[in-house]
Amino acid sequence: MRVWIRGAAAIAVALLMAAAGCGGGGSDNNASTSGGGREGGTITVLMGTAPDYLDPGLGYTTQSAEATWISYTPLLTYRHETGTAGGELIPGLATSLPEVSGDGLTYTMTLRRGLTFSDGRPVRASDFAYTIQRSIRVNWGGKSFYTSYIEGAGAYDAGRADSISGIQTDDATGRITIRLSEPYGAFPNVLAFPSSGLVPSGTPMRNLSNDPPPGVGPYMITDVVPNRSFTVRRNPRFAGFGIPDIPTGRLDAVNVRVVSNTQSEAQQVLNNEADVFDAGDTLPPSLLPQIESRASDRFARVAIPSTFYFFLNTTKPPFNRLEARQAVNYAIDRDALVRLASGFLEPSCWYIPKGIVGSPEEAGATCPYGERPDLARARQLVQASGMAGTPVTVWGEERSPRREYVDYYTDLLNKIGFKATEKIIADAVYFPTIGNAETDPQTGFADWIQDFPNPADFYLLMDGRTIQPTNNQNFSEVNDPRIQATLNRLYPVPATRLESVASDWAELDQYLARQAYIAAYGAESMPKFFSDRIDFDSAVFHPTYLNDWSTLQLK
Amino acid sequence: MATVDSTVRAGAPAARDAAGESAGVGPYRLALRRLRRNKAALGFGALFLLIVVLCLCAPLYADQIAHTGPNQNHVTDTVTVGGVSKDVVSPTGQPIGPTWQGRFLLGADQNGRDIAVRLLYGGRNSLEIGALATLLTMVLATIVGIAAGYFRGVADGVLARILDLIWAYPVVLLGIALGTSLALGGIAIGPLQLQGNSLLVPAFIIGIVYIPYVAKPIRGQVLGLREQEFVDAARVGGAGPLRIMWSEILPNVASTLVVFVPLMIANAILLEAALSYLGAGVQPPNPSWGTMISDGIRLIPSAMHMTFVPGLMLVLAVLGINVFGDGVRDALDPRAKVRLEEQAEEASR
Repeated sequence: MRVWIRGAAAIAVALLMAAAGCGGGGSDNNASTSGGGREGGTITVLMGTAPDYLDPGLGYTTQSAEATWISYTPLLTYRHETGTAGGELIPGLATSLPEVSGDGLTYTMTLRRGLTFSDGRPVRASDFAYTIQRSIRVNWGGKSFYTSYIEGAGAYDAGRADSISGIQTDDATGRITIRLSEPYGAFPNVLAFPSSGLVPSGTPMRNLSNDPPPGVGPYMITDVVPNRSFTVRRNPRFAGFGIPDIPTGRLDAVNVRVVSNTQSEAQQVLNNEADVFDAGDTLPPSLLPQIESRASDRFARVAIPSTFYFFLNTTKPPFNRLEARQAVNYAIDRDALVRLASGFLEPSCWYIPKGIVGSPEEAGATCPYGERPDLARARQLVQASGMAGTPVTVWGEERSPRREYVDYYTDLLNKIGFKATEKIIADAVYFPTIGNAETDPQTGFADWIQDFPNPADFYLLMDGRTIQPTNNQNFSEVNDPRIQATLNRLYPVPATRLESVASDWAELDQYLARQAYIAAYGAESMPKFFSDRIDFDSAVFHPTYLNDWSTLQLK
Repeated sequence: MATVDSTVRAGAPAARDAAGESAGVGPYRLALRRLRRNKAALGFGALFLLIVVLCLCAPLYADQIAHTGPNQNHVTDTVTVGGVSKDVVSPTGQPIGPTWQGRFLLGADQNGRDIAVRLLYGGRNSLEIGALATLLTMVLATIVGIAAGYFRGVADGVLARILDLIWAYPVVLLGIALGTSLALGGIAIGPLQLQGNSLLVPAFIIGIVYIPYVAKPIRGQVLGLREQEFVDAARVGGAGPLRIMWSEILPNVASTLVVFVPLMIANAILLEAALSYLGAGVQPPNPSWGTMISDGIRLIPSAMHMTFVPGLMLVLAVLGINVFGDGVRDALDPRAKVRLEEQAEEASR
């Protein structure tokens, strides 16, 4: 997923692989929420930014995933736990973790029996194949995870095939076999994306965000008012399936309202007029002191492996010149960006963040652009690039502090010799807009929060094969042969052996920094902030999907 | 919207008016005399003029006193206040408040930009947009209003329906719709090419949406004027429609247009602020009073100055031009004031 979402999994891969051999046990009972909370009730979640899509086949932001990962359970999913434990892959609609062939190319699973969608239709193994086809056809932003690795998925995407030859299903036995075109160590995590969450065969292959299709999960998305509100309501059928480790939910419903003013959003939660401040939003600095004093028992900062950066389109002037890109990296004052984030940012110039295998920072590497900004050197480089005075349009979102980041960045580009102007657009359409080839942006804000704890997840955005005409995530349009060759070597490494190639990933990340394909500036912490009504301690803050609504309960 | 229903024939001597001034004095000179007696209007006019002059001096203030530009960030800079070095923006993101000295006189915003500098530059932008939008409105509304009223028939039918169409759409919503779409792609109409972040875009939008508010009263007035004898005389004398509209009709609606100008400037400034507040007007990082209020909203509890200062300037500017505009209306059409007072009395009974 992009941007805000994703998460988590990574460790999952490791544990997954380990567990693959033994067929995945899991606990005997459904995951339960602890604490003395009560069953039922309705809460209100406030979001500063509307989900990009509420269709599981298209959603790719945290705001979307918070709703879809509990409404569309894939064959595999993540343990509903806080911290690294939440990165563990567990069987979802599959009976166990997949059996993987010795060459790493074939994955075999079996669908649980007796499952039905939220509208009562029975779930069949062939629905999985249809779900993947649909995600590709509707052009999900991460579809390259499928098209790059599943045999025949690329041909299906290109319209050369009517189905994906690498996915074989048997409705009678529930057996699902996936054949990869090349080994990909993180493929089990791909199966855990909400976009892999099953929808019925025949679901229209178009954006159904306004009327999301049926799914299999503890909740279901209803009453969508685009960009305004939606409700996540408990699916009465789900508890009967008895799927281990997936909470059946305590709340009857979660009403989600989009409140573009984060000041109002935070104030309402502080005053107990609403229940959850969306973790994807930034707390206004003016309210932080009050929140920390008045609501210390219902507020926490949670560090999430993430990277915040400015993308630099390598195919367009001026950032098709190495010197121009390096100039930006020399000029950026990461401490300034920390202040703009009200302290919710840990500065870094690396793409792979701390907490992810291969982080150069954890390997002891020093930033090639120094610890302090060097404007003089940046100006020299801009002059040397021959791009001084080049008009640059900087793209950004309206939400704070991202707009402030872009205001700062635009001023910086002007200071080092470019002629920069801003283009700020609505949050909900920002990533689809800059990911559209017709927009073809020069530079702007971008971020990435782990889909799963594996550097391969981050390098999706630097993989030349992921460049696509719509919903593109490789905003810098990086297509570097050296990166491609390294990725081809590192991608097949199973998560169980990830540590053995940590130095290779770190070296790759240092190469990326030297090439200045992006200007990274840090990783954000996120707020876990509830009203007094919510049982704070039992609520899971998932490393990928943030606030886990299926674990929320009223006191 | 105030209108003037009194018309003065071109070249005709002014009749004794309601205030009792003697004949033989030109109507505009007479109006100027009345305006001079209206101290409140003159006072508020002077206030508006002062704001305009201050805003025009923005570059001077930025260069010589504040030593920074309107978009220059100073996030990690410090400023010495009373001998103590202070962060312009604290590590937790709190901007410094008013220092009451050259640098950061009225404090900084969250990006460490000098609010006083942005206030003046923002005022320039707001006033420029207000003036340009008013110019556009007045020119187009005059052409449309006179043409519709003079030609009547099909031309009037088409033009009046177009005006009705624009009129029927709520001004702010229409402004937002146009502003949002044009902010992305700019304007490209033949030789007219405007970038999305150009100040001319909000000026264009505001200028267009207010056309009916001026054109419709002008049209109504022209419908009456075209039946007057002096128009017939011109027509009999061989003058064509364009000449009649230019030399006979236009001078007679001029006083109405003059009354409209300050009111339209005030409306345009307000609409610009509203659109910019909503992100559909002046595009960041360029300041305007509307964008500055919007920027300050999230910091109201701890940095109220970010919202209060541009808000106050907006109120003063609009109040100044509005009261002055009322004075101009009273001076050009004293009977309008009498009518208003009569209406108020009737309403109070």
